[in-house]
Amino acid sequence: MPEAVKTYQPDNSLRKGYFSIFREIVDEIVENRWLTWQLFKRDFLTIYKQSFIGVLWAFIIPLVSVGTFVLLNQSGIFVFGEIGIPYPIYAVLGMAFWQLFSTGLIASSNSLAKARTMITKINFSKKSLVIASMGQALVSFLIQFGLVVALFAFYGIAPSPLVALVPILIIPILFFTLGLGFILSLLNGIVRDVGNMLSVLITFLMFLTPILYAKPTEGLLAVLTVYNPLYYLAAAPRDIVLMNRVSEIGGFVASSILAVAVFILCLIIFHLTETRVAERV
Amino acid sequence: MEKNVAIKVENVSKKYCKSLKRSMMYGVNDIARNTLGMGSHGEKLRKDEFWAVKDVSFEVKKGETLGIIGSNGSGKTTMLKLLNGIFWPDKGKLSVRGRVGALIAVGAGFHPMLTGRENIYVNGAILGMNKKEVDEKFDEIVEFADIGDFLDTPVKFYSSGMLVRLGFAVAVNVQPDILLIDEVLAVGDLSFQNKSLRRLAELRDKANAVVFVSHNLEHVRNLCDKVILLDRGKIMFAGKTVKGIEEYHRLTRKKKMISVKNKKGFRSPLHSSSGDINFGTVGLLDERGTKTGKIEAGKPLTAFFEFETFRGIEELYFTVGIRDERNYNCILQTSNYAGKNRFRNVSKGKHRLIVKFSTPNLVPGLYFPIIAARNAVTNETYEKNFNLKPFLIEGDGASRGIVLTGSKWKLDKIGLKGRKRE
Repeated sequence: MPEAVKTYQPDNSLRKGYFSIFREIVDEIVENRWLTWQLFKRDFLTIYKQSFIGVLWAFIIPLVSVGTFVLLNQSGIFVFGEIGIPYPIYAVLGMAFWQLFSTGLIASSNSLAKARTMITKINFSKKSLVIASMGQALVSFLIQFGLVVALFAFYGIAPSPLVALVPILIIPILFFTLGLGFILSLLNGIVRDVGNMLSVLITFLMFLTPILYAKPTEGLLAVLTVYNPLYYLAAAPRDIVLMNRVSEIGGFVASSILAVAVFILCLIIFHLTETRVAERV
Repeated sequence: MEKNVAIKVENVSKKYCKSLKRSMMYGVNDIARNTLGMGSHGEKLRKDEFWAVKDVSFEVKKGETLGIIGSNGSGKTTMLKLLNGIFWPDKGKLSVRGRVGALIAVGAGFHPMLTGRENIYVNGAILGMNKKEVDEKFDEIVEFADIGDFLDTPVKFYSSGMLVRLGFAVAVNVQPDILLIDEVLAVGDLSFQNKSLRRLAELRDKANAVVFVSHNLEHVRNLCDKVILLDRGKIMFAGKTVKGIEEYHRLTRKKKMISVKNKKGFRSPLHSSSGDINFGTVGLLDERGTKTGKIEAGKPLTAFFEFETFRGIEELYFTVGIRDERNYNCILQTSNYAGKNRFRNVSKGKHRLIVKFSTPNLVPGLYFPIIAARNAVTNETYEKNFNLKPFLIEGDGASRGIVLTGSKWKLDKIGLKGRKRE
């Protein structure tokens, strides 16, 4: 068997050209899929360990935030807008899609910083580490989706048959999140302020994006929502479940294209610059 | 790269940053530059940066074992991390042929919450094994680690010995083409250490090339075909192992000498004086009588002590000794023995005492002269000085202990002859 020669030299990938390295990236990801799976399993197995109620936390956290909004609404402080279905279903479902972004982004941006000792001692695919961290978001998503099913049963409503399309419709938001996660994990690995800033920013973004309330029709927020890709990416799978159609298909397609572009660009940047992180993480 | 070369390192340099804040700044800056398609001007040092490895070149052929030696902070581990691809060089080029496996930090990547079984899989994957390999090696790993019933217990409940054994067991079951070893041999009790050494020997046999970093020079001497000696990131010597280790000793002695010389304020407790005599320059004389700071091992040793007396002293005698670094008196002799060498009527002024030890036979190292001057009649002490300028005895590093001697070795079988005769 011929043994491959691996060469390390400064700006290795840069020399090869900006876009021709894409092949290299894909090969690395494919080659390391078992590692990614193992890392994912590790995150998944440890996330709720040393905890008595364990996985129940995945239910409690969204229920509390949704509960808060229900309470605010009943006191007349907060108005959802016209929804047309029981609010808890609307909100929990929306939250399930939203947290793919929020949980995913926080997990992935912390992935390199958390694995500091490993990165400085073992040479393994850092892309696997970032990709695997998205698993946390997927697992909480599945659990929360279970909660949604329970809510449908409770209210005696059936979701639309197009619910089967959900796995496809969440792909764009996953790409978007993972793409940003790649860049932020690197930056957070070097400068920890990035992670702290992100937690604040994500809460802010959640209120800015119509997830727990209907899309506003007037005012500054209405204008912002038109240009908010996160809104389209999270709303499309929700609309499919609730209304059997994607209400703003144009926005969704445009946002999906944007998401894939962000993903590819960020992945290339990550590949070009990941060699910098081990010595500074 | 030629077919028979396993590792080729060409003018490789690596820089580090001393300041955390600056390191963060430079990191973000470098990422931004690379993103925009610009090179990362690695050849220049920015503020607070220094070269951890500088302009290092070497080659390891297939079948060779290379040792990297040097004192702490000389760049050994950095070099190993460069070979492993954890760090990337800032300058130069580094090529390795085949799969690289490292015994650098065993057990890194273990998750305390996961059981031994789960950790074996995760750790195996991180170290570059695929599922099939881990499945195949699983029983061997468990047996090697000798963790018994604890296989399905979270590793946070393991004793430190068990944890290290498990880490080592996983690491030595990766079969690399190029094996990097960093000071991991002292793990566990004697029987586990021996087991590990046997396993390492197997790995070395199968690997194409081995790079070995250690402070244990005996291991280096036994395992390595050739060595490079690093000091502050630069290669000071590259070549035969025995010669390299000698050079390493020479360098260490030189450094100790410098650090002892630069040490200030350690005079007082080791020096007491009545004020009648004061010792000044102290050192060695070579065969022609000129002052020197070192001699070759096995040669006669001539020491001189210059001192000043502030009044005439009727009968003076000296005690002179040579101490090694461990503060052991290797030589201790008094001039006043059986009435000999009592120096009468020493006048006021400057004098020089010369002592020649004809067969000192001390092993190479850093030595400290000590002296006391006393009155031979009253036995009052004028000056005791244990804090004089040290000197070096140079030589090859083969002998340790105190006394330098040649040796001949012979192995006989006993007990059989007698029995035959019966």
